[in-house]
Amino acid sequence: MSKENVLRLSDVTMQFGGVVALNNLNLEVNKGEIIGLIGPNGAGKTTAFNAITGVYPPTNGRVEMNGEVIAENFPKGKMKGMYKGQNEGKYTKSVMLTPDKITKRGIARTFQNIRLFKELSVFENVLIAKHMHYKANLATATLMINAKEEKRMREETMELLTLLGLEKNKDDVSTSLPYGKQRHLEIARALATKPTLLLLDEPAAGMNPQESDDLMHFVSKIRDDFDLSILTIEHHMQFVMGISERIYVLDYGTLIAEGTPSEIQNNPRVIEAYLGVDD
Amino acid sequence: MDFTSFLSYCLAGISVGSIYALIAIGYTMVYGILRLINFAHGDVFMMSAYFMIFAMGVMPWYLSMIVVIIATIVLGVLIEKAAYKPLRTAPRMSIMISAIGVSYFLQNFATYLFSALPKAYPSIPVLNKTIKFGEVSTSLVTFITPILTIIAVFILMFIIKKTKVGMAMRAVSKDFETAQLMGIKINDVISITFVIGCFLAALGSILYFTPRPSVYPLVGSLPGLKCFIAAVFGGIGSIPGAVVGGFLIGLSETFIKAAGYSEFSDVFTFIILVIVLMFRPTGLFGEKMSEKV
Amino acid sequence: MSNKTKNLCSLALALVIVGFIACSYYMTDKTSMIRTVLQLGAIYALAACSMNLLNGVTGLFSLGQAGFMAVGAYVFAVFTIPVSKKAGVYYLYGVADWLKNIELSPFIAMILGGLVAAFLAYLIGIPVLRLKSDYFAIATLGFAEIVRILVASSLFNKITNGSLGLNSIPKFTKVFGLPSYFTPFIVVAICITIIMLVVRSTYGRAFKAIREDEIAAEAMGINLAKHKRMSFIISSFFAGVSGALLVQYLGATTPTTFPIAMTYNILLIVVIGGMGSMTGSIISAFLVTAAKEWWLRFLDVEHYIGGFHIPLMRTGFRMVVFSVILMIVVLFWRRGIMGNKEFSWDGIYNFFTGKNKKKKAKAEAAEGGALNE
Repeated sequence: MSKENVLRLSDVTMQFGGVVALNNLNLEVNKGEIIGLIGPNGAGKTTAFNAITGVYPPTNGRVEMNGEVIAENFPKGKMKGMYKGQNEGKYTKSVMLTPDKITKRGIARTFQNIRLFKELSVFENVLIAKHMHYKANLATATLMINAKEEKRMREETMELLTLLGLEKNKDDVSTSLPYGKQRHLEIARALATKPTLLLLDEPAAGMNPQESDDLMHFVSKIRDDFDLSILTIEHHMQFVMGISERIYVLDYGTLIAEGTPSEIQNNPRVIEAYLGVDD
Repeated sequence: MDFTSFLSYCLAGISVGSIYALIAIGYTMVYGILRLINFAHGDVFMMSAYFMIFAMGVMPWYLSMIVVIIATIVLGVLIEKAAYKPLRTAPRMSIMISAIGVSYFLQNFATYLFSALPKAYPSIPVLNKTIKFGEVSTSLVTFITPILTIIAVFILMFIIKKTKVGMAMRAVSKDFETAQLMGIKINDVISITFVIGCFLAALGSILYFTPRPSVYPLVGSLPGLKCFIAAVFGGIGSIPGAVVGGFLIGLSETFIKAAGYSEFSDVFTFIILVIVLMFRPTGLFGEKMSEKV
Repeated sequence: MSNKTKNLCSLALALVIVGFIACSYYMTDKTSMIRTVLQLGAIYALAACSMNLLNGVTGLFSLGQAGFMAVGAYVFAVFTIPVSKKAGVYYLYGVADWLKNIELSPFIAMILGGLVAAFLAYLIGIPVLRLKSDYFAIATLGFAEIVRILVASSLFNKITNGSLGLNSIPKFTKVFGLPSYFTPFIVVAICITIIMLVVRSTYGRAFKAIREDEIAAEAMGINLAKHKRMSFIISSFFAGVSGALLVQYLGATTPTTFPIAMTYNILLIVVIGGMGSMTGSIISAFLVTAAKEWWLRFLDVEHYIGGFHIPLMRTGFRMVVFSVILMIVVLFWRRGIMGNKEFSWDGIYNFFTGKNKKKKAKAEAAEGGALNE
C-alpha cells in the first residue's frame, strides 16, 4: 500500500552567515503518521520547523506539502559565494510562502518557548486562531451581520477548550495558567486553525513522567480524532519513543539516522551523539 | 554655481553636518544600549543653549563653556535617573512614551522659564571672527566645527575600543542581560553613555547656535529629529555610521537649500529616511538583528 | 450580574450622559467652560480612540496623528469655505481655479477628509508598515512633519493659503433638527461606536494578536501586512474626521494648529486612559481637556493673597504642571485608568464586591462622578 505523502523536505539547507544550522535535510511525513525529530540541543530541530512554517526561507532546497511546493530556494546574492552546503544548482526556483499562507494550507505549530497572546484570555487565544476561517469581511464583522458565524466559531472554540481540559480557565489571562496548561493551550490554538499537519515543538518540556504519559495518549487521540499527521520535536525519550512511528535524528544540523524507535535506540551513531548528554 | 560658492556650500554643509553628527552620536549610543529613541535629546540640546545665555551673562566665554557642558551633563544624567531608570523592566513602548514625556516637559518648562519668544544667543567674538581661504570667506566657527567633531569622534572611538568602560559598553549593547550576569554594572555604563551623549550635545549646541541669532523652546525638536534620522541612516548603534549619516544629511540639506528649495529640505530628509529604511532596514553600517523564534 | 440588570444599567448610564450633555446646552450660556470642555473633549476623545486603535490595540506605535488630523482638517476647510468668502480668505495668493466654485456640505466634506487621510495612510503604509516598531514611530512622525511643511509651502498657496492659514470655515451645522451644539457629540458617538465594534469583531481580535506576538499571530494564519494596513487605514480615517471636527470647532486653521505637540497631547490622553482601552481614552479625553482648559487655568494667572505674591504661578506654569502629571502617570501608573480593559458592569460589580470593599468603593464613588461626564 503506497502511503499518501503530506510533507516532504528535499535537501533543505539553512545557513545563517557562515553557520550551517541545517545541512541537506531530507524528511517525509505521510498521512496519519506521528514522526519524531530528535537531536541534542542546537542540532537544528527548531530551525527545521521554521523552514517548514515559512519563518525563514531555506538557503537551498525544497519543502512540499501534499505535492505542492511551499518553499524553494537556492543560494543567491551574497550567499552564493558563502554557501557551504551541498546540491548547489539542483534548485533553480525561489518560492516563499509567508507563515500565514502556510498555516492556511494546513500546517499548524506550537512554539518551544511558548508564544501565547499573553494579555488575552484563554478563550480569545483560541478564537483568534479561528480568524482566518471567518467568512466575514471587515464591514460585516463590524456591523455584526455575521452573528451566526461568530456564534459558531465561539462554540467550536469552546469544544476545543473542553477537549483540552481548559474550559474552567476560559476567562483567565493566558499567562496566569500553570506551565503545563499553557502548553495545552498552545495545542488547542494550533488545532483551531484546522490543520492537516501539526508541528509540536517540545510539547512535553517541563512535564513530569505522569503528565508526559498523559500527553502521549492525548497526542495519539487527537491524531485519530482530527485526522492529523504529526511531526514532533521532543527531548523526553520515553515520550518520543512511545509515540513515534518513525524517528529522525539530527546532530549539528545533519541527519544522522532515521528509522523506527527500536532501530534508533540501537543505532551506534545516535548513541554516540547523545553520549554524555543528560536528558 | 561657480566653484567658489560651491566650496563655501561644501564648507557650510560639512559644518552643519558635523554638528548633526555630534548629536546623532548621542542618539545612537543610547539606542545601542537601551534600545530607546531618546526623544528628549533634542531638547537637552535646546536647554544647553539657554544655559549658555545665562552663563555668558555672568562669566567669560571660556568659563561659560565649561559650565554649560557640566550643566548639560547633569541634566542628561538626571533625566536618565528620573525617567528611564524606573522603567528598565517595562515594555519598550513605556520607555519611549516616557522619553516623549520628558521632551514635552522640557519644552513646556523652557517656555515657562524663558517664555516662548526667541532669546538672543550671545556672540562669542573669537568664534565669530571671519577668516578667508582664497576666495572663500567664512566664520571661524564654521571652520573649526568639523575639526572639533573629528577630534571628539576619535577620542570617543578610542574610549570605546581600548578602555575597560568602552568594552563594558560594547558588551551591554550586544546583550543587556548577559552583560549584567557577567558582573557589569549596567547602571554605571548607562550613566556614562548619557554623560558622553550630553557632552557631545553641549558641544554641538555651542557650535550650532554661535553663528545663529536666537534660541526658543521648540528649537531643539526638528534638529533632534534630523539627527536621529542621521543615526538611523548610518545604522543605529554604530558611531561611525552616525558621523557619516550626520555629514550626508548636513551636506544634502545645504545643497537643497542652495538650489532654492529650502522649504522642502526637511521633507527631503524624511523621504531619504524612508527610502534608506526600505532598502537597508539596518542603515548603512548597522548590524542585522533578528528575533529568535 | 444578569444580562437584564446590565442592560438596564447601560441604559441608565446612556440616559445620564445624554441628559448631562442636554443640560449643558439648556442650562449654560454660550461662553460657559462646560460647553468648551465637552465639545473639545468629545473631539479629542475621537482623536484618542483612533490613535488607540493603532497604538494600543494593534501595537503599532504611530506618531503621525497630528498629520492625519491636519489632512482631514484642511480637506474639510478647503471644500467648505463658502464661495462668497473665498476671495477674502485667499486675498493674498488667490484661489486655485478648480476650487473657486466648490462648496460641499459639511458632512460630505467630513467624510471626504477622513477618506483622504485614509488614502494617504494606504500610500505611506506601503513602505512604512514594513518598518520595525521604533522606525515606524519615527517615519510616521516624519510624515506628520511633511504634512505640516507641505501645507505651509508656497507650492499649495492657492489651496491651503500657505502660512496664513484658512478662516471663515463653517461652524457645526444642525443635524437631525437638533441645535448645532450637539453635532460634534453625535458625530463622535457614531465614529467611536464604529471603532469599538471593529475592536470587538474578529478583526479587532486579530489586531490584538498582532500586538501580543507578531510571530505567533502569523503562525495562526493572520496576514500581518493586510491587518496592519487595515488598522492603519481605519485609524487614519477617524483621525481625519476628528481633524475636520476640530477645525469646525475652531473656525480657522494654520499649519501650526497641528504641531508635533498635538500628537503628544493625544498620546498623553491615550496613555492616561490606558493603552488599548477605548472607554479609558474617552474618560481620559474629558478629564485631560477639563484639567487643561478649565481646572488648571488658574495656574497661568498670577495670584495675590493679601498682597502676598504666590510664587511660581504665571503664564506657562499650567503646562509644566501638566507635563509633570504626564510623567507621574507614565512612571507610576503605567496602565492608566482602565489598563487595556474596557468598561463593563461586571468590572464595576467586582470592584465593589471585591477585596478592600469599603475603601475601594469610596474611591470608586469618587471616580464614578468623573465617569458620568
